[in-house]
Amino acid sequence: MPYLAKLEKAGIPTVLIDFEDQANMVQQTALRSGIPHIRYVHASRILPGPQDVDTWMDRIMDALVVPLTDKEKEIGTWVPTSDDRLIFEGTMDGAEKFFHQTEYVPHPVNAPIARYTDGLPVRVPTEERVAEMLKGTSHKPDEIVTYQSDRRGWNGPVKKGDPVLFHPMNWTATVEKVAACAVMAGCQPEHLPAVLAIAESTCYIASTHTFGQWLCVSGPYAKEVGMNSGCGMLGPGNIANSTIGRTYEIMARNLGGAIPGINRMTSLGSPFEGSRCCAENSDALPSGWKGINEEGGYRRDESVMLVHPHVNDGIRGVQFSPGGYRAFQKSGHGGIARKLGVKGKPGPHNWLEFLVPEFWIGREGAKTIIMNPEMARHLYEYGFKTKEAVYEWLYKQSFIPLKDYRNYSWVDLHTNGWLGIEPISGKHWKELPDDYMVPAAEDPFAFCIVVGGGDEEVSHQLSSHHHLGINPYYSIDAWR
Amino acid sequence: MAEKVRCISPVGIADVVKTFPLAPRLDKIDGKNICISICGEPDITIALEKKLKNDYTNVNWLLKKTYSLYPIGLTDEEMKTTDAVIQGVLW
Repeated sequence: MPYLAKLEKAGIPTVLIDFEDQANMVQQTALRSGIPHIRYVHASRILPGPQDVDTWMDRIMDALVVPLTDKEKEIGTWVPTSDDRLIFEGTMDGAEKFFHQTEYVPHPVNAPIARYTDGLPVRVPTEERVAEMLKGTSHKPDEIVTYQSDRRGWNGPVKKGDPVLFHPMNWTATVEKVAACAVMAGCQPEHLPAVLAIAESTCYIASTHTFGQWLCVSGPYAKEVGMNSGCGMLGPGNIANSTIGRTYEIMARNLGGAIPGINRMTSLGSPFEGSRCCAENSDALPSGWKGINEEGGYRRDESVMLVHPHVNDGIRGVQFSPGGYRAFQKSGHGGIARKLGVKGKPGPHNWLEFLVPEFWIGREGAKTIIMNPEMARHLYEYGFKTKEAVYEWLYKQSFIPLKDYRNYSWVDLHTNGWLGIEPISGKHWKELPDDYMVPAAEDPFAFCIVVGGGDEEVSHQLSSHHHLGINPYYSIDAWR
Repeated sequence: MAEKVRCISPVGIADVVKTFPLAPRLDKIDGKNICISICGEPDITIALEKKLKNDYTNVNWLLKKTYSLYPIGLTDEEMKTTDAVIQGVLW
């Protein structure tokens, strides 16, 4: 939309073609870009292209030639409705009702959506509770949340001190507002530095295609605040894990103005949009395996929040039956051993070989692999003395013939319709033979290993934590 | 009497936005330089390009096409000579 705004301001008339259910999002972004009355024609999600185009071709031309209305000629200023520090004064009962209001969102939702929450009950952010929460940081309440280091932002490079623009409305926020969100989520004051680190990520919500967001703490902070990096760390039960993770959505709703069906268009949503925060078990890392903090350029004694803003192909896991993994590693028995041809041979075996064939069946891209400590140790004993060694091995496993690579969906976008140059060979995509081997993973270091969990041998896998080139590591220490 | 509470707003701070008029529309289509700016949805945009070129033969069509999510912008030179832009389906 900024591009269309640039054209209109330069005197070049435009017309936009998009789907009807995107109308609210178009109007919101058009307003934010200063051209609230942009002309817009609805295409169909269903009709075949030629038939569809026939139905609105006249409207396209009208949009370019019909003279502007008085409204479309207006110069003005849009002023936000309210930016008061206090949003409610009254009884506690009244506050409860206020914060649990809903508003009806028409198609494509057709249901009430919470105005201030993630749909679950919240703790009302009274002045006293927020003041108590603010004891968890040395940052001032009225300080605008800014980037704590230079990095690549969603719209290009950002510098330390630039204000964080919360997605999708590009609003800003004070530290106090983040603290209010933390109160609502049920956090304690000691959780606030982690919440502020999440806030620094802009609480990106993606658009139509995402499986949600995911968070992981690495460093001493996890133990300081009693996070669970053991059994059930991705699930419910631990207050720090659950409430810190929950703030992502509360902040997205309030600080970013994200509303399902209006500007948050993930068609199905997902349980990951909850969101979940776990912690790395750094004590369980094999010797020589870096922590997530170190992989992000921090020291082992520094604490970071890994923000995975766009889980883009779901989560898979629990591929091993109860006891199946142990039989495989201890004595080379069971289905895993049969598949890998190690029947009767005790381990340590490389269990990743069992999973790799399914990694790239549905979708290309590197993976985040969560594994329990014992499984990490087996990989180490097998011979992977560093995480990098595992990543490089996985990258090599990801090579598939071009004829199969072409059958993914997203690759049409990534290769710009196969119009460009294949990066490894330097040749045009269309010159390459069907048996040319292409890496389904974009880069060895787009993989990520997270060690944590309990004693039962389970691994979960999800998409790479690198998305659109964004650095996913945010310092928690900077927000203490 | 029930105790009174005051609650801090968790809502983000929206900037004041200066709004602008749309660009004046064209007096006619024929003879104009119009850009068809395409992102995605080839089922629609292939048909769109074909129909525009078939039905409006007196227009100088400039095609900017990408499969990515973001349009290919007009260059500074093209901004000087382009009379209108049709953008679809992503933006």
